[in-house]
Amino acid sequence: MILIHCPYCDEKRPEIEFANAGQAHVARPLDPSSQSDEEWEAYLFIRANPRGRHHERWRHVHGCGRFFNAVRDTVTDKFETTYKAGEPRR
Amino acid sequence: MSDALFRNEPVSSTPYLADGVSISLAAPLKRYSLRARSAEALETVLNVKVPQKIGATEGGIACLGPDEWLLRTPADTAVPTGAELPVAITDISERAIGLVVEGPRAAELLMTGCPLDLDNFAVGRATRTIYETVEIIIIREGEDRFHVEVWRSFAAWLWTAFTAAASH
Repeated sequence: MILIHCPYCDEKRPEIEFANAGQAHVARPLDPSSQSDEEWEAYLFIRANPRGRHHERWRHVHGCGRFFNAVRDTVTDKFETTYKAGEPRR
Repeated sequence: MSDALFRNEPVSSTPYLADGVSISLAAPLKRYSLRARSAEALETVLNVKVPQKIGATEGGIACLGPDEWLLRTPADTAVPTGAELPVAITDISERAIGLVVEGPRAAELLMTGCPLDLDNFAVGRATRTIYETVEIIIIREGEDRFHVEVWRSFAAWLWTAFTAAASH
């Protein structure tokens, strides 16, 4: 079982306590009504699908309940780092 | 009408005794979910010390997350409502029941379905975690004593899982 470091609990916890919540650092446009259909579609649906290093949101759902960001390698499934939500991209 | 109201628990009130471990239903408790941006805000309202570190407990209050605490208190205690203050104090007494797992094999029993390393889980620590697929809150009250909070609807299944594991 993979151990994931929760930046809020500050310890490594078993992966089944966590839930993946998709790509990280997708910012909602500040003024949605100014967006064209294509821009809005890109915001809502278009996601990166890299081979290798990927920024993801995870949630420690069966623990402290917080969302945080993680850098995971999609090939090896290794977590490079995790950091609190709101912190700059690593 | 009140004659018809009685506690109907989802698990047996008779403790289950097995080799090195016993599982029993905890006495009814008042439970409160405490939410606030800071522990200090809650300390002002409740007038008790509130733990800051996730996993720590202090006099019946367990810190479950950066802005979330669980208060367990005897059934006849009055707790301030915190109305009009920047805190949320919600009575969740009947959402969960408590199971007490006690004995030298208590940690071993919980680890049959819980992936945490409970051998290195200090006395006085509390955490939300998972047993198989059921979310639970584990509070280590003593070297050989764990208090397990589980949602009422999951309790019958958890009781069956615990007693089955204990009999092996």
